[in-house]
Amino acid sequence: MMMQELLASQPGPVNFLIFFIQAVALLLIVLGFVTYVILAERKVLGFMQSRYGPNRVGGRLGLLQTFADILKLLVKEDTIPDKADKKLFILAPGFAIVPAVMVLAVLPFTEHFHFADIGIGLLYYFGIAGITTLGLLLGGWASNNKYSLLGGARAAAQMVSYEIPLVMSVLGIVLLTGSMNLIDIVEAQEKVWFVFTQPIAFIVFSIAAYAELNRVPFDLPESENELVAGFQTEYGGFRWAMFYLAEYIYAFAMSALAVVLFFGGWQPLFPFLDFIPGAVWFGLKFAILVFGLSWVRATWPRVRPDHLMEFAWKVLLPVALANIFLTAIAKELIQLF
Amino acid sequence: MTGEFIAFMVLALVAIMGGVLLLNFKNIIHSVVALVFTFLSLAGIYVLLSAEFVAVVQVLVYAGSITIILLFGIMMTKHKATHTEPKSTWKKILALLGVLGFAAAFYLGIYNLDFGAEQVPLHANNTEQIGIALYSKYIIPFELTSVVLLVALIGAIVLARKDDNKEADDK
Amino acid sequence: MDVLHIYQNNYLIVLAFLLLGILLPVVALFLARLLRPHKPSKAKYTTYESGNEPIDDARVQFNVRYYMFALMFVIFDIETVFLYPWAVAYDKLGIFALIEMLIFVFMLLVGLIYAWKKKVLKWI
Repeated sequence: MMMQELLASQPGPVNFLIFFIQAVALLLIVLGFVTYVILAERKVLGFMQSRYGPNRVGGRLGLLQTFADILKLLVKEDTIPDKADKKLFILAPGFAIVPAVMVLAVLPFTEHFHFADIGIGLLYYFGIAGITTLGLLLGGWASNNKYSLLGGARAAAQMVSYEIPLVMSVLGIVLLTGSMNLIDIVEAQEKVWFVFTQPIAFIVFSIAAYAELNRVPFDLPESENELVAGFQTEYGGFRWAMFYLAEYIYAFAMSALAVVLFFGGWQPLFPFLDFIPGAVWFGLKFAILVFGLSWVRATWPRVRPDHLMEFAWKVLLPVALANIFLTAIAKELIQLF
Repeated sequence: MTGEFIAFMVLALVAIMGGVLLLNFKNIIHSVVALVFTFLSLAGIYVLLSAEFVAVVQVLVYAGSITIILLFGIMMTKHKATHTEPKSTWKKILALLGVLGFAAAFYLGIYNLDFGAEQVPLHANNTEQIGIALYSKYIIPFELTSVVLLVALIGAIVLARKDDNKEADDK
Repeated sequence: MDVLHIYQNNYLIVLAFLLLGILLPVVALFLARLLRPHKPSKAKYTTYESGNEPIDDARVQFNVRYYMFALMFVIFDIETVFLYPWAVAYDKLGIFALIEMLIFVFMLLVGLIYAWKKKVLKWI
């Protein structure tokens, strides 16, 4: 409620300061999430492969493992190869991390805990996230390393190919809602979640999202055994950490976006369960999707590069387009009867 | 001095700086990066003008995809940085006069331009307003766009295939 | 006036996130600079090439295939840009808009099929 008053007040430096402090708070939450999701992922992978995972630093569960890793990265020597394009080498991680932080601005978490409530929310997410591709391509090019250049080019080609089905898959939802505002989209799911009315969209969206995140089974740009981590080969220390962090912030943002678009955000599963607070519902759905990321990583082999590119254009794109028109026709038919 | 004015000045400055650097960088990839900053600050200016949909399209299409195609295009071609400064001072003076004349013409043209009062607030339901205008009033230009896009796609494929065949012949 | 204030405040939030995004790497790298050692030696600054001495410049000429995919991306990106306002305003437009959009998408599908037949979509 206070937020609404603040939004309606005359914009000025004081408002900006309040917004900035809120943004810092959200970023701290996200950084905490990233720290523990890395640990959780390693634990889940360990469990699925019948080994322990991190179990030395911070007790039997390795609770401080990621902090130790961050500390190690912090004190690593900074080396920029002589042959690299120094300015671009320094700038490229910025192109990856700044959009990653910016997409967090439009995600609504609960009815009251949300930030920018803009009319173009959904397209804002995709537009800003698309700039990260540039960071990877420029990073690969600036390194002047054969693996990096190939990894960067592969990353860019893959991400642009899967961006089209990703952006098109959610058009069915926009059709049903009549808005790109993410809060409106959640409110439109009060009765039934879009995962039930738009199942095709959800399948296309999930596949394209995994590819956008460069996650297994689509982790070709950084395949460690062929391309020696691809565009990241020459990066080390905190410069590399920026790429890694951007990747995990996107994992956070994309899972949250999927919850908002397909699983009704903070809405309960059945109306009579609405005594459970919205934040719990959001967290629950979110946790399941994040677990899915690790699960897939443990069970799926990597896709072949030729299959990868052809799949995006020959299968996902036509299916996503068909889904849009199916939705529109269904809408017309419902109006008729 | 309102916040809007400061934001406009900063964005305009970044846009112009990006343009100047684009021309001045010797390394063509650096030029593209400078261009990205121009694109992004233009998007910011659209936001100031209450045209949020145009702003996001600017980011998605220009900063996101046009830049990628430029980069791939540059990486695809062999290029040696052979750069020669224009020597004659006459040419420089002529160019300066041309620039000044263009600026003056633009200034005169824009300064007293009046679009009339805004009938509807643009910042509310921006996308919906665009959608309604585009698909009821401007159907013909919209359909023609698809022809332009189709011609661009097919034309590029034809040209690229020719190149590919030549390469195959060379081998 | 209220609507305008809400609009401006919302973009102020976006600006706050932009500033935060820029500050995060700057502060983090500054901290790292204070803590990390600096012991340069020539070998550290050579390019990695699986232990071999690096041969030539890495920036080889790219295959035209990458360019073709980028081009397809631009074309279909523009198509999605047209699809979004259509989807948002659909309720107010009705069935004619559906037919208009079907014609539009059909034209681009022709392009996609052409690319498919010409084996542009093949990644070797």
